[in-house]
Amino acid sequence: MGLARNVENSDLMIKDTIRTIGQVTEIVKETWRSQGDHLLAKRVAQAMPKVGKRLRKKTTSSPARNYGHEDLIQAPWYMRFAGYFCHFMLFAVGFFRESIWGHGPINSELKICEKNRDGYSPMYIGFEGFYIRNVFRRLAHCFRTPIASAPGGEVDVLEHYSENAGWTFNINQNHMKTCINFGSYNYLGYAQTSGPCTAAAIQSIQTSGLTSSSARQELGTLSYHRQLETTVSEFLGKEDAITFGMGFATNVLNIPRLMDKRTLVISDEKNHASLILGLRLSGATVRVFQHNNPEHLERVLRKAMLHGQPRTRRPFKKVFIVVEGVYSMEGTIVRLPEIMAIKKKYKAYLYLDEAHSVGAMGPNGRGVVDYYGLNPKDIDIMMGTFTKSFGSAGGYIAGSKRLIDHLRANSQANTYPTSMSAPVANQIIEAMKQIMDKDHGDGMERVRVLARNSKYIRRRLKQLGLVVYGHDDSPVVPVMLFVTTKISYLLGEMKKKGIALVGVGYPATKISHERSRLCVSSSHSKEMLDYCVNAFDEIADKMNIRYNRGAHLDMSEVQY
Amino acid sequence: MMMPGGHGNENPNTNYMNGRGFWIFYLLVLGGVHIILLSVPVSLFSVAWVWTLTHVGHNAIQFWFLHWMKSHPWITFDQGSNRRLTHWEQIDHGVQYTPTRKFLTILPIMLYILASGYTRYDKIHFAINTLSLASVLIPKLPWFHKVRLFGINKY
Repeated sequence: MGLARNVENSDLMIKDTIRTIGQVTEIVKETWRSQGDHLLAKRVAQAMPKVGKRLRKKTTSSPARNYGHEDLIQAPWYMRFAGYFCHFMLFAVGFFRESIWGHGPINSELKICEKNRDGYSPMYIGFEGFYIRNVFRRLAHCFRTPIASAPGGEVDVLEHYSENAGWTFNINQNHMKTCINFGSYNYLGYAQTSGPCTAAAIQSIQTSGLTSSSARQELGTLSYHRQLETTVSEFLGKEDAITFGMGFATNVLNIPRLMDKRTLVISDEKNHASLILGLRLSGATVRVFQHNNPEHLERVLRKAMLHGQPRTRRPFKKVFIVVEGVYSMEGTIVRLPEIMAIKKKYKAYLYLDEAHSVGAMGPNGRGVVDYYGLNPKDIDIMMGTFTKSFGSAGGYIAGSKRLIDHLRANSQANTYPTSMSAPVANQIIEAMKQIMDKDHGDGMERVRVLARNSKYIRRRLKQLGLVVYGHDDSPVVPVMLFVTTKISYLLGEMKKKGIALVGVGYPATKISHERSRLCVSSSHSKEMLDYCVNAFDEIADKMNIRYNRGAHLDMSEVQY
Repeated sequence: MMMPGGHGNENPNTNYMNGRGFWIFYLLVLGGVHIILLSVPVSLFSVAWVWTLTHVGHNAIQFWFLHWMKSHPWITFDQGSNRRLTHWEQIDHGVQYTPTRKFLTILPIMLYILASGYTRYDKIHFAINTLSLASVLIPKLPWFHKVRLFGINKY
């Protein structure tokens, strides 16, 4: 009797299992079709918790896609104290010197003071130039290096020298050095002087001239503007797009048209100056959340929504979340799936600034939305620039037709500035066509090479023991130095070896977070990347920047 | 490049004191200066006078840099909203009772208590130390945020 019951029970269990597998397969098929595999696991987990956990293990994304655990190694204590002490000494010496000898070099006509201004109130506050006069001046030879060629994979760097300790600089026209260019935003290598994009741009000068001589709303909308906008909207998968001549102005002048004082905006801590300026001009209530932290975003959003408008406590008319695709100083990629889930839960709008990620991320080069495999229709406003990945200039906003029509009529960036020039627009059109169409050119190949290059150089630099912030897939590679003086030494030594780097220090970054930022490009060959990594290896011990030594480093051979 | 505010941190004056290790660095510098003063072999520099000197000197420097100097040593992109504010008023964007503000308030008080002890509560030392402490504590009170007495140091 008991045995028969056991057999019957096991029969039922088998039927149950088969039914469960059937249900799970249905969910898998449906979710796979519309969304990415990370959301698949979530859907399955909602249906059946135990099965979901097992599936989640199997369908974990590739290691390169793991987000949220970038090496946030901080500076060691002695470095911090050294950095603070350096700034302290420079400030102390500066105060002493300026209180006695005034601003400017001692015993020179370059003394910094306003002339013939007796009885007038001062035009500038002398104190606001203190940092530049005392700290930046001593490192000024690292920055603003003049170049003499197009900023492709290699760039001709001129030497500039100062005869009076950094107050003024002269350029040595004869001394030119070709260096590997890791400083320019040239992700897909379109900043070149030959090739189909350049040919298309030059051809367009002969048909349309160099300028349209008018604003968009007057006589300045020519056929190539419409062609560019349809190309951009097709590239991104949105209904319509509008383009402007300047990327910075796109943010600053359009955000006030979309957000007003009855809007709540939650923006990332490390958003770009253009977004911050646009938000300030709009008059919206802005709350800041910790960089790339969706849990904090949700807490801040809830608290601010419950609080309401500042004085009257009435509910807000609109709620926006403003994030960037790839952050250019940190190299982190936005955690878009979680932020999208929060946006949908609280019915907020999402403004995505893809200045550094359009063209550079994703298997098809369409940006972070493509990288995560999400639906571009879910993002309300997609903004980006053409400067970084397309070798051109200008910015765009893409969205629904209704939104773009509103901007066409109301945006000041459309009404006043002269419209985009013909070669600039045609360069972008040709570059986008090359990326969209596999047979048309080598655009897709460039996207693939960029992804390969980024992963390769990141892993190899990490293997050296250097601290590299950001996610494994982003093309922006910040190598942490943690002390301002190391920027000067690193840039000098690298220039001698023929590598052009960019260094960033305080106050652009936080006080102990000085870094050197490499921008990987698809015009870098494997030999160039190897040369750069070997150069870092040679001077890393002397500079003491191997902050991440240890047995936990993955020293396996990195395949290209 | 070294331009403030390019990426989120508009006026670094507001939060560099929250950075890791700044408080300990501040205490180390103060302790180092104190030890150097203690090591001076002149007989005038007795323990009592060195403690008063450290206390008064620290308060004077703090008053000058936190409560007298206005604006910031760099040009920011916030249209000069901090140009009339002293460093103390800029810390944490004017939010009161933050950890940095509490640290900077407690430190002179601790120094005062130590100085009073080491000077054996002598009358002259008491007068000097108390006046110095008052000069550096009163501007830190929340009621004195953005207050300029008699229009001194307004512009």
